Amino acid sequence: MGLFKKKASCHSVQAEPQSSGKKVVLVGNPNVGKSVLFNALTGSYVTVSNYPGTSVEVARGSASIAGGQYQIIDTPGMYSLLPITEEERVAREILLNESPDVVLHVLDARNLERMLTMTLQLIDAQLPVVLVVNIMDEAEHMGLSIDIPLLQEKLGIPVIGAATAKKRGLDEIRQAIAGFDRKKHAVFGYSKRLESDIDSVAQLIAGDYPLSRKSLALLLLQRDEEVTDLILSREGENAAIAEMVREKIFERRESFHLDLSMERKGIVKGLLADVLTIPEKRKVTFSERLSRWAVRPMTGVPLLLVVLYFGLYKFVGDFGAGTLVDFLEGTIFEAYFNPWITRVINGLVPWEIIRELFVGEYGVITLGLRYAVGIILPIVATFFLFFSLLEDSGYFPRLALLVDRVFKRIGLTGRAVIPIVLGFGCDTMATMVTRTLETVRERVIATLLLALAIPCSAQLGVILALLSKAPGALLAWSICLLLIFLVIGFLAAKLMPGETPMFYMELPPMRLPQLSNVFTKTYTRMQWYFMEILPLFILASVLLWIGKITHFFEKAVEGLSPVMASLGLPKEVAVAFIFGFFRRDYGAAGLYDLQTKGILNGRQLTVAAVTLTLFIPCVAQFLIMKRERGMKVALAIGVFVSVLAFGSGYLLNQFLLVTRLL
Amino acid sequence: MKCGYCGHEFAEEEGIRGCGKCGKPGRCSMVRCPKCFYENPPELKMVKRLKSFLKKEKS
Ligand SMILES: [Zn+2]
Repeated sequence: MGLFKKKASCHSVQAEPQSSGKKVVLVGNPNVGKSVLFNALTGSYVTVSNYPGTSVEVARGSASIAGGQYQIIDTPGMYSLLPITEEERVAREILLNESPDVVLHVLDARNLERMLTMTLQLIDAQLPVVLVVNIMDEAEHMGLSIDIPLLQEKLGIPVIGAATAKKRGLDEIRQAIAGFDRKKHAVFGYSKRLESDIDSVAQLIAGDYPLSRKSLALLLLQRDEEVTDLILSREGENAAIAEMVREKIFERRESFHLDLSMERKGIVKGLLADVLTIPEKRKVTFSERLSRWAVRPMTGVPLLLVVLYFGLYKFVGDFGAGTLVDFLEGTIFEAYFNPWITRVINGLVPWEIIRELFVGEYGVITLGLRYAVGIILPIVATFFLFFSLLEDSGYFPRLALLVDRVFKRIGLTGRAVIPIVLGFGCDTMATMVTRTLETVRERVIATLLLALAIPCSAQLGVILALLSKAPGALLAWSICLLLIFLVIGFLAAKLMPGETPMFYMELPPMRLPQLSNVFTKTYTRMQWYFMEILPLFILASVLLWIGKITHFFEKAVEGLSPVMASLGLPKEVAVAFIFGFFRRDYGAAGLYDLQTKGILNGRQLTVAAVTLTLFIPCVAQFLIMKRERGMKVALAIGVFVSVLAFGSGYLLNQFLLVTRLL
Repeated sequence: MKCGYCGHEFAEEEGIRGCGKCGKPGRCSMVRCPKCFYENPPELKMVKRLKSFLKKEKS
């Protein structure tokens, strides 16, 4: 996983940022929307650097609020003032060392009860806390009602209800920061016994600290090492503190942590009385119901099929690869653009061979550009649109849970859904992502299955377009690939030693996709994809042109014709396979071309599509396999995939010939 | 930004990007979620500029 590791450097200690002014520190659990709030407050002037001496990154930015200059610091997620992880330690360091003027504690309204204990700790420490009860919109959606003014009254600090992702509450937060009054703060009483324990330690602390004595005493009693060191170093020879702490800890033995957390829970319960109203029978929202359906096999599988039918078959296959390609490729390119550009080039260039390069059978313009713009572009556009819609709705993690059971059988876990799903975008990047899988075994199996049975988006789109005109062929193709995916996965899991790890994933809520998100994602993916393929298509055209003028190409086609014949295919299909070696989608596009020329019947189309989908990953994917899994594994997979592809093609052809199904 | 897979919210700078090793020509600009490594397309520069412009107008 080395590549993904955050850069850990102890030399990146930065000088304190430029901006002076008051400091606002954001704290809170992970995933409560801190970063969104941070971005909303700071805008574009942000520096991210490692916190001195750690590998944890901290973001700082500046903001001008009500005419004043502020420095905003985003801390790593923390659950308590008593740190466990390095992230939490850094977050507390910031509270200790940066003497913030305002501490914004951001929490999730849906988990108010669990998260408020940290607010208590911050108030105990007499830090200048402003409480932001975030994600109010979704809490309200769940039927929770939170009386913010009452909570503010009880806590004695500013409390703001917000939904920062929806821009709600931002102005109130700015006002609270600007008008913060340090002097006001509430004090919470623990039980008499605990208070007296705290007191007897707190009294002995003499120095000045950024946290209150009460809070320091509590941390000492919880045996917090850093605070203990801090106190010892400041208080010097004052051995009474250590003695008192030891005594109190001994009196309470192991029960101190438990007692304290019980008392804090009690205080939170009291705070939330009348503040938080939970409906008797919580309203189950439609998205929650949908979420449940998506995860359960009985409803999840039909739902998946519906999604695939309408999304992939109808939208990408029918509309994108059918209607749009017919128009762009058939009408624009074939009828208008290609004849026109051919005339232009023919008039300009006297040499036949150069003319061939641009507008010949494998010309850069007539083939490369036509494939890229006419066939691939509409297909990836519709595919990425569908993909981004699904992604933004939060469906993918549910899919991961749904297929986890099946994946376990083939030696994978639901975690492998990420690389497999990404594989439908581009197998090359998906192969790289397999490194996030837990075990080597899982990685090799996933790499193999990606190389074998997962077509990338463009190839998938073209093949769908091709086969949607022959529903029987599409059905046969789907069954073949699914079967091979499962059988080979199952065999690989049987043959490779090792256990399948556990998989668990927290589900983010499902939601209606947001148009702006979907548009942005689709556009970015398309732009990236197109910038990537266009030069490659042109390069491939040039190589094919060289192949043609040197007659190497004819020889390759000749050489492959026995293989094609054994698959029951006309020898022209060899061209598609040669294309496919450059890029998967190029091969599929070649097949599309042959189909429109009417060379293939239903059986041949099915056999060719199955073989081509299974057949060798493109050059780029092979190189990635080599880098990720090593030469041996990559070669083994390459050879295995090729043999299996042609073997399956052969068997499928025989099967179809005998049964006369197609 | 919000991860399209696990829902983890993170600042774009927090994401893992620009590994440049996938063999793709040009630089892939995807931002990987620090939690689950899922690839997310970054916000368009245009949209970002528009947002900061609107923010400035407002304040
Ligand atoms: Zn993620």
